[in-house]
Order: sequence, then C-alpha cells, then structure tokens
Amino acid sequence: MNMGKEKIIPIIAMVVLIIGIISTIYVHASQIEKDTIKINGQDFTIDQLFSIGVTNEIETDEGEKEGIALDKLMVAVGVGCTDCHKYTIKAKDGYQQTLDWDILKTGILTDYGRVYFPDTAHTFWVRDVIEIEVK
Amino acid sequence: MKNLKLLAGILVFGSLWGFSECIIGSGLSEFGLPTGAIMTGFFAITFLVISRMTYRQPGMQLGMGLVAGALRLFNPFVGCHLCSALAIMAEGAIFEVIWYKISLDLTEIKPLTMQISMGIISAYFVYIGGYIITQIFTPIVSGSGFFIENLITFMPNILSSGLLSALIGAFVLPVILLTKKIDLRLKDRLYYPTTIGISVFCWLFVVGNWFLLS
Repeated sequence: MNMGKEKIIPIIAMVVLIIGIISTIYVHASQIEKDTIKINGQDFTIDQLFSIGVTNEIETDEGEKEGIALDKLMVAVGVGCTDCHKYTIKAKDGYQQTLDWDILKTGILTDYGRVYFPDTAHTFWVRDVIEIEVK
Repeated sequence: MKNLKLLAGILVFGSLWGFSECIIGSGLSEFGLPTGAIMTGFFAITFLVISRMTYRQPGMQLGMGLVAGALRLFNPFVGCHLCSALAIMAEGAIFEVIWYKISLDLTEIKPLTMQISMGIISAYFVYIGGYIITQIFTPIVSGSGFFIENLITFMPNILSSGLLSALIGAFVLPVILLTKKIDLRLKDRLYYPTTIGISVFCWLFVVGNWFLLS
C-alpha cells in the first residue's frame, strides 16, 4: 500500500507542476492587448468614454474612487431598458464577472480601466477591462 | 479532557492562521506581492502541517479553517472579507481530503521526494481549491448569481496562479517536518493559558487594529 503511495504521490506532484507551467504559458500567450473597451458591441477609448460619461466618486473599503458612473455610461452608449439586462465585465487576462443592473448601476469605471463598486466583494472589481457585454 | 485540549489546539492554530491572513496578508498585498499564493504556500501549509504533526487528529484542520475563516469574516477592516473567509474555510476542508490517506505518524512521507511532492500537491490544491470555491460562492452570496462560463474562462489563470503556491509548498513542507525533532508539547499547566492567551491576542489584535487604523 505504502509502496503505491511512494510512486503515485511524486507522479501527481509532477503532473501538478506540468499543469501549472502549461497554464502559465497559455495565460501569457493569450493575453489580449487592447487600447479600447467594447461596450454593447461598440469600441471606445477611455478618453471617449470619459467625454460621454459623467464623472462620479464612490466610497469603497479601499477609500474613495473616481471614475465614470456606469449607470449613466450604459444609457450614453445606447443600452435601452437597462435593468432588463445582465452585464458581463471582461478583463484582458480572461477574468470576467456577470452582474445585475442593481449592482452595475452603483459602480464606476476609472481612467486606468478598472471597475469599482461601493458595497460588493472585490471579486467584482475587475481590472484591465476590455469589454462590458450587455446580455 | 483530550477533546478540550484538541479544541484549544484548533482555536490557537486557527487563530494564528486567521491572524496571519488578516495582518500579514494585508501587509503583503500593499507591496503588490502575490498574497494568496504566499499565504497558502507558506502560512496555511505551515499551520496545517504543524497541527497535523503535533495533534495527529483528522478533522482538526477543518476546524482550524472555520476558526481562521471566522476571524477573517469578522475582521471589519479588510476588503473582500467574504471571499477570503470562504476560501480559508474551503482550504481547511481540502487539506483534510488530501491528507486523508496519509497515516497520522506521517511514515509515508519520510523520504525527501515524498515530502516535496506532498508540499507541491497540498499547496497547489489547497490554493486553487480555495480560489475556485471563492469564485463560485462569492457571486452567489453577493446575489448576482454564479455563471459557469465566467469560471471556465478564467480557469487557466487559476491553474497558473497555483504554481507559485506549489513551489513554496515544496520548500516549506520538508522544513516543517524537520521541526518534528523539536518537542513542541507544553506542560499541562501551561497548555491552556498559552493557547487561550495566544488566541485572544490574535482576535484582539485583528479587531483592535481596525480601531487604530480608522
């Protein structure tokens, strides 16, 4: 029995390392470099979004954060019936979170491409945003 | 009496784990270091393996995870306390599953290769397990609902981020097992005052720190 463990445990450890290395290579190879953020199917630069959006300040557990209000931004980019949709915020590293309007409307998008929400877990604070998909 | 001793052990090791997550973890993240991987690979594995080695009691590490998670949950000054608390609780449970078939006297992991391998396996799966659990339960608890495609898309990143934790675990576990030769047991009359004292200190420090900072 112990002999079996002596063989299988090092093999599992090797497989774990291989999975970790391959995933690391994959993650670096599949990073998406974009200067624009796609919202509701249209591409915008951060400057364009700040010119059409309304700047807002919110209080988070990491202090005050300033950016454009996501609720007004969605209206400005032409999303109709804002509370009928779900919103998937995607980052350049593949991270994404899907939110209801009730949460999204409280958030902001900063000039460095990160979204913040005042009363949510940091899981939703997606950084390096490349797309906000309206579903 | 033995159960009471075990309970005090769970409390002290869980509190130390929670303390390190709240105080040291918060400090590390301010320097932009990969906090999660370091906290799991070094601190979590250290406390989990030392307690396993000392008390030889399956189930203890699950209890430690609950205590450490509770400290993280009730700690008012950290961000994302919900995600972290869930991850820590899951980490304790995952460690129990991984070590279920390992004998309590740790005979099988005497060779260095086995120690390094168990370090890699434990740190990697504890870390990515906690990460995955967080990604599933935090959206659910937060009320937005869990979407499987969000997890699948991010899975390569999770698998990749566990690599650092695994490498730390490969180094940490053999070092911890070296301390097996040191007698960590306390005399009975010192056991309860020490364990309860350390636990109370951890809880007071973590909660009190918030009042000092705010």
